[in-house]
Amino acid sequence: MAAKRITREYAEISESPPSGINVSLDNDNVHKWNVVMAGPEGSPYAGGTFHLSLTLPPEYPFKAPVLSFKTRIYHPNVTNDEKGSMCIGILKSESWKPSSKILAVLLAVQDLLREPVPDDALEAQIADKFKNDRPGFERDAKDAVKRWAK
Amino acid sequence: MPPPNTPVAHTPRSLSVDFTESLPFHNITVPPPNTPSSALDSPHHNRQYRSRAPQVVEEAVETDSSEIDESQHIDYRALTYADTVNENLICPICKVAFVDPVDTECEHTFCKECIAHALEHNDVCPFDRNPLPQPATLTRSHKIVINQLDSLLVECSSCRAHVPRSMLRNHLDRYCKEALVDCPDKGCLQQVRRKLVDQGCLHNNIACPDCEGIHQEVAMSKHREESCEERQRQCDHCGTNILRCKQTQHEEECVELIVPCIWVQYGCEHQCKRGELNLHKLECNFRLMGPMADILRKEIQTLQSDVRYLTDKEQLQERRIKFLEGGQRESHRHSNYEEWSSQALTPLADSAQVEPLSESTNEYLLNLLGDQERRISQLSSALTELEGKQTMMLFNETVPIKNQIAELQSNQQMTSMHIRWFMNWRKEDQLRLQQQQRRFGGGGGCAGGSGGASESEVDGGGSSSELATPRRSPDSLTRGLVTKL
Ligand SMILES: [Zn+2]
Ligand SMILES: [Zn+2]
Ligand SMILES: [Zn+2]
Ligand SMILES: [Zn+2]
Ligand SMILES: [Zn+2]
Ligand SMILES: [Zn+2]
Ligand SMILES: [Zn+2]
Repeated sequence: MAAKRITREYAEISESPPSGINVSLDNDNVHKWNVVMAGPEGSPYAGGTFHLSLTLPPEYPFKAPVLSFKTRIYHPNVTNDEKGSMCIGILKSESWKPSSKILAVLLAVQDLLREPVPDDALEAQIADKFKNDRPGFERDAKDAVKRWAK
Repeated sequence: MPPPNTPVAHTPRSLSVDFTESLPFHNITVPPPNTPSSALDSPHHNRQYRSRAPQVVEEAVETDSSEIDESQHIDYRALTYADTVNENLICPICKVAFVDPVDTECEHTFCKECIAHALEHNDVCPFDRNPLPQPATLTRSHKIVINQLDSLLVECSSCRAHVPRSMLRNHLDRYCKEALVDCPDKGCLQQVRRKLVDQGCLHNNIACPDCEGIHQEVAMSKHREESCEERQRQCDHCGTNILRCKQTQHEEECVELIVPCIWVQYGCEHQCKRGELNLHKLECNFRLMGPMADILRKEIQTLQSDVRYLTDKEQLQERRIKFLEGGQRESHRHSNYEEWSSQALTPLADSAQVEPLSESTNEYLLNLLGDQERRISQLSSALTELEGKQTMMLFNETVPIKNQIAELQSNQQMTSMHIRWFMNWRKEDQLRLQQQQRRFGGGGGCAGGSGGASESEVDGGGSSSELATPRRSPDSLTRGLVTKL
């Protein structure tokens, strides 16, 4: 059932992709998607292009997908390393619902770029800077985009 | 997995029964301590469920790869729906229209199979994460939901026709022209599309007329159209590449082929390439008359067929009327044969009512002939019967007459005998009298002699007159007897 649902969702997203999001399959494997996301306008990430990897477990949709940034990003909710692990509410195992769709996950990531959630941070330092020195955070984020996401 | 009311052999009946009875839907691995004994009593329930989950995956792989499986198994999650399905009928887990929907305690609906899988991972409602008690109580969704699902139009994967989802199984099993069914040749063991079943086994190998390659007869047209190396050739007229097997078809439409004007039958002798025919059409002398003649011809044809139809109908009716009239007359004439004539009439009267006009005239005539034959044999037997009766009657009447005549004849003979005897008796009496008189005359001498002679003359005269009277009387006596008789 998983493969069929994933295929259906993939067809839906690639037929009418949401603005700034592009998906493709990694080696025709429906369980591994390559996502290309444009930094949302009005955010410090605007102008950047972010590559993400979306892994759908065999138990999908009963288990949540795993999402990571392949492009390094300066963001309180994403580990600032090569792994680019991230944590968003919708994907947490205690809140994942089999009825949620991948599209919703991708839109949630876009929202996270627009609006970081410092209270649920993975990078405490960046979260602090976001909370206490917003202009400094934005400057650093833009620098990071220039360095890694061009 | 099929929807609830499709009669599929591999749908486990016990499962649906479980649902209608609202029996607990217990966890697969470890049943909770307070699982009702009824659920534990049926170990197959468990086994079925455990074996079901992997089964679905296997089936899905099979349908994707092999074509043969499509006629046997329907993957209800791979169906293409004719219209967008109302989102209220979409399962939140598999994201397609519900298959065998059930409701949770929190009033959310899922496919029976989907919620079973979800509960293997988490004891919460997959929609709102409401904790569901273990074992979860699932009830079959309302009939109205199931009816809506059953009536959704889906595309048949074989023939692309749209059928209600609940009828898909039936469509594939009985009607789908493209569905694979067993070869009509019992010994063949291969499958063939239903539309080709009438042509017998097509699994013998034949040579392709184009490339001489050997293929099964059933696959030949596909080979000639799609994969044959020699399948194409250049059209002699227009030069485009065409399929060899479609050559005649192409000649019907080749624009370079020289063809006569469309009004050739009304006398236009113009001939040109088909592509240029449109130009000629504009200047053809028959462009005005042609269509008119066409219309008239069509009209005449319809009229002719109408007339033919009506004459046929009239003849049929006439024959019926004649037959009915004949039957009526017969029944009036021979009231004692009423029974059989009505018997002979009934089937015809019935057939006159029931028989559709389309029934062939031949059949009707044959029926008529059969009826007539039956009636003739009945008539001839009646005739012989009548003849016998008449002879009997005649015989009975003539016998007494004959007897009477015989009696009369014997009576007459008797009377004539009596008369003869009586006459003889009178003659003898007379003779005796004469002898007595002569004896008297001889005693008197000559005087008596002379006197006797004169007397005898007188007597003779007297006796002759006396004799004449009785001579005549027997005649009158017989005459009286005859008149008396
Ligand atoms: Zn619920
Ligand atoms: Zn479902
Ligand atoms: Zn069909
Ligand atoms: Zn065969
Ligand atoms: Zn060939
Ligand atoms: Zn041609
Ligand atoms: Zn012409």
